[in-house]
Amino acid sequence: MALDDPQARPSEPPDADGPRTSPIDAGVPPFAGDEVLPCGRLLSRVWEQARDAAPVADPHTVTCPHCREAVEGLATVNAAAQALRAEDPPGLQALADRVMNVVRAEIRLGRLLPLADPDRELRIAESAAAKVLRQAADLVPGVRAATCRLVPAGEGADVRVTMALAAALDRPLPDRVDQVRQSVLDSAGRDLGLAVTAVDITVVDVLESWPPLGPGDPTGGGT
Amino acid sequence: MRAAEGDEDSFAVLVQRHNRSLLALARGMLGNPQDAEEAVQDAFVSAWRRLPEYRHSAEFSTWMYRITINRCLTMRRRRRPPPLPLDTVAEPATGDARSQPARSAEQDAATEALSRALAELDAGQRICWILRELQGLPYNEIAHVTRTSEQTVRGRLFRARRSLQEAMGPWR
Repeated sequence: MALDDPQARPSEPPDADGPRTSPIDAGVPPFAGDEVLPCGRLLSRVWEQARDAAPVADPHTVTCPHCREAVEGLATVNAAAQALRAEDPPGLQALADRVMNVVRAEIRLGRLLPLADPDRELRIAESAAAKVLRQAADLVPGVRAATCRLVPAGEGADVRVTMALAAALDRPLPDRVDQVRQSVLDSAGRDLGLAVTAVDITVVDVLESWPPLGPGDPTGGGT
Repeated sequence: MRAAEGDEDSFAVLVQRHNRSLLALARGMLGNPQDAEEAVQDAFVSAWRRLPEYRHSAEFSTWMYRITINRCLTMRRRRRPPPLPLDTVAEPATGDARSQPARSAEQDAATEALSRALAELDAGQRICWILRELQGLPYNEIAHVTRTSEQTVRGRLFRARRSLQEAMGPWR
């Protein structure tokens, strides 16, 4: 790292009048706000050289009072920067431990899905989200959710839900499936904050015991 | 890289290897140690989740620099009231056994002043300055991390130095 303090001057005397580069560093475009020193050098170049190159590499900057002054102008910044570099941030090990605790917890939890809040990068375990969405499906009368899988859909935070369920046949299935889809979408957005783009539903079984028997109604039938 | 295949022990090695420099970067960008730790922790966790996307086209460190910088920029956007009330500024790092041998109060204050001046810089300039002056990255690597040209990096560095020099004027 070329991070040595530029104030450290070379101990050996510079070559008397080394080859002078042409005024206004040839071929080097100045930056906005740059300045040509009275010696013809660009301020930006002088600062760069002071930080990047060994001072002896360019004898001019060692002998030239203007360049010296320019470099000394940055001395306070450089000294404070050196102090900043030397600061050993506390808690490095604690930080590494916290990171690895999160990583290991995620490995135990299984797949994590992004919530629709990209700034915070919040995640939810697929198993937890699936449980909530199965309950949302169960809220629809005449339906019992069997399985629920969630997979990320494309880039961003979009998620696709695939669900299998058992449904009663006392009403047309398409209506009931639409109700389930709506209930799942509502719950995903409201309860979880998941951006669900699609809910694929398969009816895999018939719910025979529907409508359920009322507790005080041994003969069956609705109330 | 085995970490990319879900080997958490390999990832732990990477965390140990890079957390010091990333923390320094985040500290420079955010100006306070608590936010910096949060940013670096989030950056590592995010990197772990995105490891399957990590292509070996970039160095891991370059990739991590980018993630950390983005994290810091997001945190700054959401940030609460302006940083560093003056009375908390001089508080030394809490009881760290490895903290520096007594630095002069004046130097502490100058360092704080530099941190504050840094916080005032435009984000692009601040990032370039930190990567160059605190991390010692060469221009081409800074250009790679920030997805710009070396010429842009050098221009930003110049303007950063100029602003910092002016801000540090009273300390000369």
